[in-house]
Amino acid sequence: MDWFYVKGILILSGINLMAVLGLSLLTGFTGLFSFGHAGFMAIGAYAAAFIGVNLGLPLIVSLLAGGLVAGIISLFIGRLTLKLKGDYFCIATLGFGEAIRLVLDNVQVFGGARGWPGIPIRIDLWNVVLINLAGIAFMISLVNSRHGRNMIAIREEELAAKTIGIDTFKYKMISLFTSAVYAGIAGGLVGYYTGFLQPKMFGMTKSTELTIIVIFGGIGSVSGSVLGALLLTALPELLRAFALWRLVAYGVAVIFIMISRPEGLMGGKEITFKGILRAIGFGHKHSKAREV
Amino acid sequence: MTQFLQQMINGLSIGSVYALMAVGYSLVYSIMNFSNFAHGGVIMLGAYFGFYFLAVFKWPFAFAFFGAALGSTVLAVLLERVAYKPLRMRNAPFLYFIISAMGASILIENFVIATIGPTFKTYPQVLSREPFQIAALFIGRLDTMIFITSAVCLALLVYFIDFTKVGKAIRATAFNARVSALMGINTDMIIILVFAVGGFLAGVAGVLFGMKYTVYPQIGAVTIKSFIAAVFGGLGSLPGAVIGSVILGLLETLISGYFSSQFRDLISFSLLIIILVLRPIGLMGKPSEEKA
Amino acid sequence: MDILAISDLTKTFGGLTAVENVSFRVQEGSISGLIGPNGAGKTTIFNLITGIYKVTRGEITFGGHSIHDLEPHAIANMGITRTFQNIRLFKRLSVYSNILTACHGNASYSVVDSVLKSRRFRTEEKRLREDAVSLMEILGLAEWQNHIAHSLPYGLQRRLEIARALAVKPKLLLLDEPAAGMNPDETQQLMHHICRIRDEFSCTVFVIEHRMDLIMGICENIVVLNFGKKLTEGPPEEIQSDPQVIEAYLGKEARISA
Repeated sequence: MDWFYVKGILILSGINLMAVLGLSLLTGFTGLFSFGHAGFMAIGAYAAAFIGVNLGLPLIVSLLAGGLVAGIISLFIGRLTLKLKGDYFCIATLGFGEAIRLVLDNVQVFGGARGWPGIPIRIDLWNVVLINLAGIAFMISLVNSRHGRNMIAIREEELAAKTIGIDTFKYKMISLFTSAVYAGIAGGLVGYYTGFLQPKMFGMTKSTELTIIVIFGGIGSVSGSVLGALLLTALPELLRAFALWRLVAYGVAVIFIMISRPEGLMGGKEITFKGILRAIGFGHKHSKAREV
Repeated sequence: MTQFLQQMINGLSIGSVYALMAVGYSLVYSIMNFSNFAHGGVIMLGAYFGFYFLAVFKWPFAFAFFGAALGSTVLAVLLERVAYKPLRMRNAPFLYFIISAMGASILIENFVIATIGPTFKTYPQVLSREPFQIAALFIGRLDTMIFITSAVCLALLVYFIDFTKVGKAIRATAFNARVSALMGINTDMIIILVFAVGGFLAGVAGVLFGMKYTVYPQIGAVTIKSFIAAVFGGLGSLPGAVIGSVILGLLETLISGYFSSQFRDLISFSLLIIILVLRPIGLMGKPSEEKA
Repeated sequence: MDILAISDLTKTFGGLTAVENVSFRVQEGSISGLIGPNGAGKTTIFNLITGIYKVTRGEITFGGHSIHDLEPHAIANMGITRTFQNIRLFKRLSVYSNILTACHGNASYSVVDSVLKSRRFRTEEKRLREDAVSLMEILGLAEWQNHIAHSLPYGLQRRLEIARALAVKPKLLLLDEPAAGMNPDETQQLMHHICRIRDEFSCTVFVIEHRMDLIMGICENIVVLNFGKKLTEGPPEEIQSDPQVIEAYLGKEARISA
């Protein structure tokens, strides 16, 4: 296993992690389910590539702009569906994700269904790591503030959240917007890493994969999402030899986790610096890992 | 005008297959309040059962047809026992049911790819391709058979739900599962029954769909259409699911007939979003207020 | 002075009228009760006051402002909050987090503040944490602070729900069957808590309860509902001896034989 191969897996994990962090806020912390996050990735990917290639803006600006475009579009979706109960939001995101893909299939400027080759490759391991560290830091700050707590309250008991004065619609919108921005940035990374974009890279399979990583890592845990993204991106790559059966095993694993350990790897706990110190025998007895 | 009528007939035939899929989905939704995304897997396996019984085992058509439907019935019940029952026992949130359903859907699809292979299979010709002619209209025998079979199945379902004691128990459980359980209805049995009925209809739909087109592992993706139809008609409402399906089938064939089949799917998803905006409870859905 | 005024309130669900032309007032600083047989529409009235249900007809005014068109969170921010008949805690969170979350209204830092850890974030966050701790102490929940809400004994869950409601600093606190499932000892303790809350948090308390010992023991004014309509209202002594009320609760024969 040479370094080039390992590096490739790490970059792919980093890209997935960016999208997973965003979805973790929406699904893991706010309790909303999206089947269209690949759609936000697609929007971010095409927008970032367009801005970088046609306007010649630097990488970070293109990525942020791509994220912002995805975020703004998410506000329209949210405005229409977040006031509805239950499954409607999740069905609407499903429809949205597929619609985006089908629209892009027909936009000839971007190569349509055949794809858009020749995007300059600007992503390397170091900048993926930096972007992810920034993403993680932002997410941790957000979920540990009153804003994050309000989102968690919505996940736990929406009606009670309303009666203690939380504008649940507003916080769902903030959560959706933030997660779409993350997905958009992740999409931008895809384009600048592979140098090629094609609508079918962002199908429902991708959305499903992201959701599964969030659940696998553990609802309401940022460190769980990080672990989940690393493990679940690396494992299938390492199991390439068993190409045919690995997705079967993946499906079995998902059901098994749901019926046996539904709280995921981290189950609402976080790995904290203090926690690590305590685990290896330093630090105070009372500084225990944060409980959500 | 002739072309229009011709398209209408085609649309009715495909719409009635969507209806068979959508009622199964809607039944499960009405009892368990979650989108059973593994329904597509059951439909797909139904199509494969039919193909093997007919093309490989050379069973007579009626046997093969019934055998496929029974196979799907068993499979749907098995799915419920393995992937959902443990969650029900724990009162898990609907999120977990959906993830488990996604896992099951990945499992079934890739199991078929790994064992049977990803290639298309074509059903042997059962009915003559010679169409009937009524005035200037040519009506395909297969389309007629599909429409009649679906209509009969749906009529039987309506009879079962509306006029039998068991059907009444199903309706009661859909209305309020807890109270029904207190009144002595065995909720567990009702759920098995609902999955069995949904599975049976899914098997029928799978065979009909396979006969009209071909059989391949991703066939389950058409259930997205039935989700759309179910939302269009009003989630959890059976007449709504049927009407939604027929309208969707007609709309699709008219669009691919007069514009291009490229736009067909795009229109379906746009329709979904438009419904969610204009009348989120669907055509036949009832508005509800959250109980406190 | 009246803090809450309800006039000609009607709520229909499809063809069913759950509440019909109900009017009453709640006096500021009082402890008032809402009683009636099962299905009389008591909880529906709470749901209408807190904006969870939309009013079909009629008016609700709070401190002189009409509130029946507002969203539930806006009503909460005006100073009305509640507990639920079937306890609705943030189940998987600790006692402390439940209360801390509800304190959010006392801070105003933005998302950017929290990411940059600005001075405003730090001072306000510190204040929120102090508020939460002092509430836990007042309601005797401090020793349970790290316990997960749904693992608490039933009585404590009820008390936590009240603590969480108080974190909103309400002017009017609605309690929906706070004594349900409690033994007489716990009920006594609860009555004591309710009176203390009214005095120490200077808020008005409006309570739905089936336990007559509690209602008659602490309420100054009682509204009686039957089949969605107001039967009568008045102080406890009057309600206790009102033949209409006895009939509504026990049926006609009971009255004759009594």
